[in-house]
Amino acid sequence: MSPIAVGALKVFAAIGLMLGNGVVLIYMLRKVLGRLHLRHGPMEMGPAGMFQTLMDVVKLLTKEDITPRAVDKWLFRLAPLMVFVPSLMAYAALPYSDSWRITSLDSGLLYTFAVLSLVPIGILMAGWASANKWSLLGGMRAAAQQIAYEVPLLLSVLPIVMLVGSANLGTIVEAQQGTFLAVLPRWFIMNPLFWPTFVLYVIASLVESNQTPFDMSEGESEIVAGFATEYSAMKFGLLFLSEFSNGFIVSALGVALFFGGWSLPWIPASWYAAAPIIGPAIFIIKTYIGIFFMMWIRGTFPRVRIDQMMQLGWMRLIPISLAWIVFSGIVIKVWS
Amino acid sequence: MLPAISDIERLLAALPDVAVAEELLGVVARVSLADAVPALVAIKAAGYESLVDFDGIDTGELIELTYRLRSYALDTELYVKTSVAYGGTIESVWYEYPSALMPERETAELLGLHLAGHPNPKRLLTTDGVPPLLRKDVLIRSVEEVKAR
Amino acid sequence: MTDTCEETLGVGLLCEGQHDPGTPPAGLRRAPSGVDGLTTEHLIINMGPQHPSTHGVLRMLIEVDGEEIVAAEVSVGYLHRGIEKLAEHRRYDAIGTLMDRGDYVSGMMGEHAFAMAAEKLMEVEVPRKAHWLRSLASELNRLASHLVWYGTFGLDTGGMGQFLYAMRDREALLDILEALSGQRMMFNYIRPGGVVADLPLGLEEKIRTFLSTFDMYLEEHDQLLGGNEIFQSRVKGIGVIDRGIAQCFGLTGANLRAAGVDFDVRKARPYAAYQELDFEVPLGTKGDAWDRYMVRMEEMRQSARMIAQLIDGMPEGPHTAKVPRVIRPNAGEVYASVESSRGETGIHLVSDGTEHPYRMHYRGPSLYAAQALEEILPGHLIADVVMIIGSTDIMLGELDR
Repeated sequence: MSPIAVGALKVFAAIGLMLGNGVVLIYMLRKVLGRLHLRHGPMEMGPAGMFQTLMDVVKLLTKEDITPRAVDKWLFRLAPLMVFVPSLMAYAALPYSDSWRITSLDSGLLYTFAVLSLVPIGILMAGWASANKWSLLGGMRAAAQQIAYEVPLLLSVLPIVMLVGSANLGTIVEAQQGTFLAVLPRWFIMNPLFWPTFVLYVIASLVESNQTPFDMSEGESEIVAGFATEYSAMKFGLLFLSEFSNGFIVSALGVALFFGGWSLPWIPASWYAAAPIIGPAIFIIKTYIGIFFMMWIRGTFPRVRIDQMMQLGWMRLIPISLAWIVFSGIVIKVWS
Repeated sequence: MLPAISDIERLLAALPDVAVAEELLGVVARVSLADAVPALVAIKAAGYESLVDFDGIDTGELIELTYRLRSYALDTELYVKTSVAYGGTIESVWYEYPSALMPERETAELLGLHLAGHPNPKRLLTTDGVPPLLRKDVLIRSVEEVKAR
Repeated sequence: MTDTCEETLGVGLLCEGQHDPGTPPAGLRRAPSGVDGLTTEHLIINMGPQHPSTHGVLRMLIEVDGEEIVAAEVSVGYLHRGIEKLAEHRRYDAIGTLMDRGDYVSGMMGEHAFAMAAEKLMEVEVPRKAHWLRSLASELNRLASHLVWYGTFGLDTGGMGQFLYAMRDREALLDILEALSGQRMMFNYIRPGGVVADLPLGLEEKIRTFLSTFDMYLEEHDQLLGGNEIFQSRVKGIGVIDRGIAQCFGLTGANLRAAGVDFDVRKARPYAAYQELDFEVPLGTKGDAWDRYMVRMEEMRQSARMIAQLIDGMPEGPHTAKVPRVIRPNAGEVYASVESSRGETGIHLVSDGTEHPYRMHYRGPSLYAAQALEEILPGHLIADVVMIIGSTDIMLGELDR
């Protein structure tokens, strides 16, 4: 096949994965939240409400797409794409297995963070273009929050890059193969050096993917729906799809960085060769477990106040992650 | 609890036309409209720091205003009543009792009075053009009238 | 909108009364606009009446500098139904239905206040059992109402779980109240002279079953919201209504007690069965949102305690006094107040001896809490606004009447 056809197929695969994820995650969110909240979640459409998301997509597609008169029309239309496209681009570097990945970038980790940091531009655009004060507040909050947490997010994972010696996500996963004492997987989460790293990563990534308790930019009890207030129909759908997709990406990154990516140490290597689907399946399942924990937090925790969150970011997380980089750098140097 | 009538009388001794009596309502001090604000000032100084309720009654001839005051230190309640003519003006006591802000607006609106010295003398509950609903000459439709329409 | 705001926002109220009545109000309490010659404009935001967390239809105009509030104006009236006027056209036994629709989350208290006012005029002796049943109904209703407050407070902070857990317990309470009165929210149970029906068979057992798990559930609620570090950091120190503000704004109920003022109508002016019951009145110290939260949670514990006592000590006898079909009380003027879930609900009732009241004034505690918001909101962030509204537990039904 020509490289262009391969590239196009890979892009379609990424879009398919993203849309499929969206459908599954929305259903999962409803069921998990329902379970946490002593209710059933959707039950009517299909067995156990499985087709509810499908119906919602149909609804979103067929709804009237309202563009309020006062909005800045071009920005208003562009903003959902500006949110959606970076979120899609971030799928490129994820290592689904040793052979299944869209591209193997040596700067995969940096690339993923870089494209994710484009999302707030779209949100700010949506907030500004909507000509709504709540939207504007939401957009401003998003910009402030993502700029503040970009830094600790990246700093928090640097110790891993220092240990592995590469920012290629595939290489990072490969460094986690094997077991300790033939039982415990040799994942980075098992290494006490990376426990603070993990905590920092979880906090910063929750902020970065706009999840509760840091869902400032659309905190529905404070600023109505934030940047999405004026959006309707599929534009709204795109904004929310990209939010779910960002959740997936940070969870997938977490799996790749801390939980051994596509590998399970108890599965013999020959199986991977026999059935190449096993690796991606394990990766996705681990990612979904991570998303489940995000949903658990979402169903339980109240929201942090914006100034408290900014304080946490600038005054705690950045100094701590810098200090931890220095400390783990020394440890890694001495160890090796 | 009821305050002693003599205490209230002594408190309002400087004002003319004050009648303090114990009624079914409680201890009521009746003052003229002009004396209402000085009376409330004197009463506040005596420890009645809270205006708990304020309302007006259309008696058919006048609008009777009732201030319900409470002292948490003395654990007593006192009513101050005054009267104002239809369409008259009541002086706001918000700088003594900020809790009067909204009840005064409501009373003025629903009984067709004017406010003097109020920082925000807008209508509170209804929109412009609604007649003063609590006046007896403003009628609501009965069931028969609605059916007849 | 800007014009009216300029005129009226934030009159700079001071509770200590050092305002000279001769001078006009202090005007806007403006934050210094701009630093070093840079001017920043203030944004005036219309919050409500469709905002998701204004607890119904409260509308506020808030002037913000960034996210910080400079001035606020509370605008009400979106739920005005003219209850006071309608009451002048109803017979005494039918006004309970209007009172239910005043504070529709705790209807029993409104009915109770009206029934007490009417009884004072009728000079009727209410049987002991009716008193106990009234207290029982009120306390059950107080629990249901506080659970709604708890749940919506949780929603205001952004947590969804609290609301649905609170609804689970409220559902059980509403079942009990339905068995007692025949209705889930619009009870019309407490009427002049007594209550409408005796305790139905088996309800005692049902209430006991409910109480046996409720203490545990209440701890669960307290842990879920109050035990959360994020929640604590958000409510501690915000929306301080100290003793002075609370008293001069006429606040009552938990909002007043959180400021440390020991005044509970149930204790200070005992009515119904309350002087025979053993309960404590929880008090706060600072009067911030956290104190209000703690006071309300403790009130729920005390209510559960009272319900147990009421069930155990329920006297025998008739549940209502002999009341004529058409009530024509003596002419006169009375005031009766009860401690409702939100504060002191008062009824100022004037009768001219006919079958309709001459004038009924309904004092809703939420009105006073809502106007205190104008005083306490400046200086807070937008995120705090919803927390403060949530912590004062205002109910727009009784505010607008």
